[in-house]
Amino acid sequence: MGIFQHKKPEVKKTPQEEASDAVVNYIDETFKDELRTFGRSYFEKIINDTGALFQQDLNTTIGQVNVQLQDHVTKQLDVAIAQVNVELKDRVAKQLEGQFTEYNNEMKQAQEVALKTLTENSEQLQAEYQDLRTTLQKNVADQKVTLTNVFEENKVRIAEMKEAQDMALKSLNDSAQALKDQYAQINATLEKNVADQQQVLVSAFEDNMGRIIEHYLLGALGDQYDLKAQLPSIIHQMEENKQAIVDDMKL
Amino acid sequence: MTETEIKTHENFTLPASLVTKIDVSRLVSEVERVDNEMTASAVRAKAGSGEQTQPMLSDQLSEFLHQNNLTLENSIERSNLIKELRLLKDKAPVLHMTFSVTADVESLQKLTDWVRTTVHPQAVIAVGLQPALVAGVYLRTPNHVHDLSVRGALQGRHGLLVEELESLRGSK
Repeated sequence: MGIFQHKKPEVKKTPQEEASDAVVNYIDETFKDELRTFGRSYFEKIINDTGALFQQDLNTTIGQVNVQLQDHVTKQLDVAIAQVNVELKDRVAKQLEGQFTEYNNEMKQAQEVALKTLTENSEQLQAEYQDLRTTLQKNVADQKVTLTNVFEENKVRIAEMKEAQDMALKSLNDSAQALKDQYAQINATLEKNVADQQQVLVSAFEDNMGRIIEHYLLGALGDQYDLKAQLPSIIHQMEENKQAIVDDMKL
Repeated sequence: MTETEIKTHENFTLPASLVTKIDVSRLVSEVERVDNEMTASAVRAKAGSGEQTQPMLSDQLSEFLHQNNLTLENSIERSNLIKELRLLKDKAPVLHMTFSVTADVESLQKLTDWVRTTVHPQAVIAVGLQPALVAGVYLRTPNHVHDLSVRGALQGRHGLLVEELESLRGSK
């Protein structure tokens, strides 16, 4: 209200009017906004719940549809497979039968051919056997004759060889005996020579040992005595040889 | 010189100190020297230049003269002596004695004494040295050899040593 404006006179209202004015005053923009907000949020909530329920239903439906579809497809597939199996079995059996028949025929043919070939080979072998037998018998007979001749010849030769062996053995024995005698003789001579050599060596050793001992004594005693100590001995020895010395001086 | 005995080289008495022929030669030389000196001295005395002096004589000569009763007064005596001594030097019998050690004078004189007493009165000794003898003497006379050394004894008994070795060998 402005400064220069006059307060309007207050009009009395009915309770209804007062109520509607209260309502109008109560329902202002703020309230509207709040209502709007509330309505929005409630709507969103409703929508969300509905959506969740819908989704749930949808999922359930889809699950059911899936299961049903799966069953249906499985059934269809089983039927198809059974059918295919039967058809395939028939076809394969027919094919195999055909092939077996063919193989049997061919095997029979091959067996006949093999039998024929074997028979021919067997006859051929028999013929060859006969030939070989004949030849072998002939050869054996020939060999028998040859061996008999050779045996007879060898018998004579063996007898001669035996005779020669006996003579050689006798000669060897004689030689062995002669060698034995010679050996004994040589042995005796050798022993005698060895004994003689031994004696000679021992004698030479003893002689040399004597000389060594003399040499040692001479070396050891060389400088021990002067002439004064030797004089009595020298004079004594000269006395013993006095006559010889005197006779020699007189000559 | 006394005329009781005419001394010749055959009956000279040689002193013990006269051992070898060299000693005799030395004696001869000395007598000749004395003779020359005395002759010269006599001539000088006659000429009136001085008195006749007596020459110096060695102990060996003095001993020799004493043992043989000889003097050197007379020149004839001296000449005879020289002559006889020369004969002695040539004819004296020689004993070659080889020792194992060097002979000392005293031992040699004793040996000479024995030789002249036992073997020959005019004998002289020729001394040799052979250490290999060990001991004893190797005596050589004009016609013989006497090996009186230890070496000779060992050689002479060589057979005994060999016998001993043989018996030792046999006992083992």
